[in-house]
Amino acid sequence: MTYTFNDHWITETLRLRESLWGPLEDTAEAGRARAQGGDFSARLLTRSRLLAQREAVDTTLQRWQQISRLVLLFFCLLAVLAGASVAAGALGDGSRPVNLTLAVAALLGLHTLTFLSWAASFAVQPGVTGSLLTDAWLKLTRKLARGPDAALLPRALLELMTRSRLSRWGAGIVSHGLWAIGLLGALIALLALLAARRYTFQWETTVLSPDTFVMGVHALGWLPSVLGFPQPSPELIRASGSLQPLPADAQALWSAWLLGVVTVYGVLPRLVALALSIVVMRRRVARLAVDPSLPGLAELHDRLMPASEATGIDAPAERPATDIAPRPRPQTGGKPSQQALGLELPADLPWPPAALPAHAHDLGVIDTREQRHRVLEQLRREPASRLLVCCDARQTPDRGAFAFLTELASLTTEFRIALLPDDNTPARRLQWREHAMRAGLAPEQVAGEAASAFAWLTHAAEAPTLGNSST
Amino acid sequence: MIAPDSPDLPTEVAPHSSAGSGTPTGTPPLKLAVVGHTNTGKTSLLRTLSRDPDFGEVQDNPGTTRHVEGVKLLVDGSAAVELFDTPGMEDGMALLDYLERLAAPGERLDGPARIQRFLDSPESLRRFEQEARVLRKLLNCDAGIYVIDTRDPVLGKHRDELAVLASCGHPLLPVLNFTNSPQHRIEEWRSAMARLGLHAVVEFDTVAPALDGEERLYDKLALLLDAHASLLAALKQNVVEQRRQRQTDARMLAADMLIDIASLRLSSPAQTDELEKTTETLRRLAREREQRAVEAILRRYNFRRADFPHHSLPLQGERWDMDLFHPQALKDMGIHVGKGMAAGAMAGATLDMFTAGISLGAATLIGATAGGLWQGADKLGRRLAGRIRGYQEITVDDAVLRLLAMRELALIATLERRGHAAQGPIDIDALIQEKADQLRKATLPDALSEARASPEWSTLNEHYQPSARRTQAVKRLAEALTDSGT
Repeated sequence: MTYTFNDHWITETLRLRESLWGPLEDTAEAGRARAQGGDFSARLLTRSRLLAQREAVDTTLQRWQQISRLVLLFFCLLAVLAGASVAAGALGDGSRPVNLTLAVAALLGLHTLTFLSWAASFAVQPGVTGSLLTDAWLKLTRKLARGPDAALLPRALLELMTRSRLSRWGAGIVSHGLWAIGLLGALIALLALLAARRYTFQWETTVLSPDTFVMGVHALGWLPSVLGFPQPSPELIRASGSLQPLPADAQALWSAWLLGVVTVYGVLPRLVALALSIVVMRRRVARLAVDPSLPGLAELHDRLMPASEATGIDAPAERPATDIAPRPRPQTGGKPSQQALGLELPADLPWPPAALPAHAHDLGVIDTREQRHRVLEQLRREPASRLLVCCDARQTPDRGAFAFLTELASLTTEFRIALLPDDNTPARRLQWREHAMRAGLAPEQVAGEAASAFAWLTHAAEAPTLGNSST
Repeated sequence: MIAPDSPDLPTEVAPHSSAGSGTPTGTPPLKLAVVGHTNTGKTSLLRTLSRDPDFGEVQDNPGTTRHVEGVKLLVDGSAAVELFDTPGMEDGMALLDYLERLAAPGERLDGPARIQRFLDSPESLRRFEQEARVLRKLLNCDAGIYVIDTRDPVLGKHRDELAVLASCGHPLLPVLNFTNSPQHRIEEWRSAMARLGLHAVVEFDTVAPALDGEERLYDKLALLLDAHASLLAALKQNVVEQRRQRQTDARMLAADMLIDIASLRLSSPAQTDELEKTTETLRRLAREREQRAVEAILRRYNFRRADFPHHSLPLQGERWDMDLFHPQALKDMGIHVGKGMAAGAMAGATLDMFTAGISLGAATLIGATAGGLWQGADKLGRRLAGRIRGYQEITVDDAVLRLLAMRELALIATLERRGHAAQGPIDIDALIQEKADQLRKATLPDALSEARASPEWSTLNEHYQPSARRTQAVKRLAEALTDSGT
């Protein structure tokens, strides 16, 4: 996809708009920009193109451009008129002889000044550019084009032009163009007046010598003479200084000389500068790039160039993890026995704990598969009347642990879980309790405090016939 | 041997590479299954690696993730790696028992064959439904990332589930999560992994990853996956580049805000109540501007707005002076007078055009003088007039600018170190002190002093004018922030 200057302009307009009034809702547009691919700049331009279509910024832009063209046309007209009137003013109505010095100054004076200042502006920092003609043009357009976003468009244009160092050349096109048109208008008016009226040319001076004029006229006329314009002879120049009338062909020579000077020093430099501006402008516009680190654009990076893209799930989850159904408990048989074991206890929870009653049978810390098998085997042979399992409250309860716990519970008459250590982690304790309930254990079977669980085990030693406290 | 001139070659190869998702080198994305015990932070790892705070569901609860969910890591818009989040392994011991029963006596089954047989068994849909999802995905992937909560002790169940996972026949990279927790058991886990033959281990705290955490993770993966080393190198390169780009962008956002606030200038009549009202406006504008910058930086880093608690800017200092004769202001005045003179000359000359010769020069000269004065007045006149009327101009104090710079730099540094899995609020207080010490010593960057003298630079001022000098100043300031921020 190719992007035009207008796309950059719109991007800048939307950037200003979003940073002034907050971000636009762009889910659909950002999605399409992502789908279209390309680098970040391309996606930014696509997004703003789509947003501009939605927000009708593009039509506002077109209208703005139409108005600006009309204003420019009006300026061109003014330039032609101004040029023609300068020509008319310089030549006068023919009743008096034309003063050559003043005519050349009137025709080319201001043009030379502004042209030189334009040339001099290259020596100054690139920050200070801009032309009064361009400013006036933009100001008038701004006055005429009203409506939402219309105020942002010229501001965006200025921002874009200054940032991408286009302003000098853009302003150059406008001002050189207008000057060229104005000077062409002057040239045509000169031709028309010279064709239609009889003028006499002369020069006047109070302090200068005639030789200075000969030199000046020849110096000015040299470049036009290279291009084929006639150069008055020194005798003719000297003769034009006096008040005696000159023959008609001498006047024609002077008028041709004047036309040559206006063409070569007026129209041609402006046309050359205009062409240069157009060439540079075109080249720079072709290389126009979005600066992706600009405030307002940088934030969009992850939206348009996401680091990742979710690809969805394999299959929806079924009901929560298969719970283990409670199994029947064995009847109390044989002599009562109190047993205790630690399940997957880490090194910082020493086993057996000091609070463990001395008479309770210690089954040790059970961690590996083999240890689990061994304990289950042992309990199957001789079921315990009371079994206390100590778990690490800080660990996450899991299905595997509870599968083992319910199996242990099924092999004992009375079964309790103690969560060690006693301190903190209330959330985790709650998770253990919930897991225990899901596994078919009663809430009181998970001891609130380790001490009460050890007391339960001790108590059992004194009163072994106490009723089954479970479920 | 295929004939080199065979025109059919590309079409024969094409079906193997998945269309549209190829990497720059054209290889299909590397598939990695993120596996581990329940509640070890697998989804968190994916959130942090994908920089997507909305991926999956994260809770400090077992069995939060109950399905396999994929995410592609993109390099320049195309997928380089596809990661799969899996449910936690919870019943590894029973599964290992079951796997042993699946092989008939005397039958020799290798790991993957045994897993395949398990996946065809009825229990893979019932008791081991979750584990079956994990193993099915891992069989399908190039490698597995085994996530470990280092706060847990090394237990038999972990070894057993690693044994099950290893029988899928793919390389496994243990990733140590929550390494910043004081209760971590990193050494214990490292030696346990070494005993199991897993020597490539990488530390990656998903909540607060090390600055080069991702690079180290991809380096280690490249060690395990020789064939995909170049792909992983490209991914790593991209990670580094993106981080640098984010930093630059964030500093530009901060610098733009600072320039806006430094050049903000409000004028007010000198009455106390008017001054107070204007000061309030100044504070409100500055606060709102900071808020916008903070939001932009959060968006740039893809963090949620809600994660950053509102810090109201403690604005105390305002400057009441009128530095009309700031050198920069004078320079500007010169430029404007020059431009004005040209305009005046033009106006005068236009007059001349119609009366050519008679007044030539005189009118131009008068016009130039008048225009110069007018243009100068346009810029400074309003301020001068204000001064004559006893108005005062209020700007933000240097101390406030320093504070703003500090807060933004601390925010950027905090976001750099924050994983997208983090669920706590973003807290910049820890880093703000560090930045404060650095910035107190440094002088105010010259870009800011230039901004002070250029009220038309502030987008908060009604007379804002775009200028190339402002753009330059933002860039210079962003660079100055880089120097003091690292």
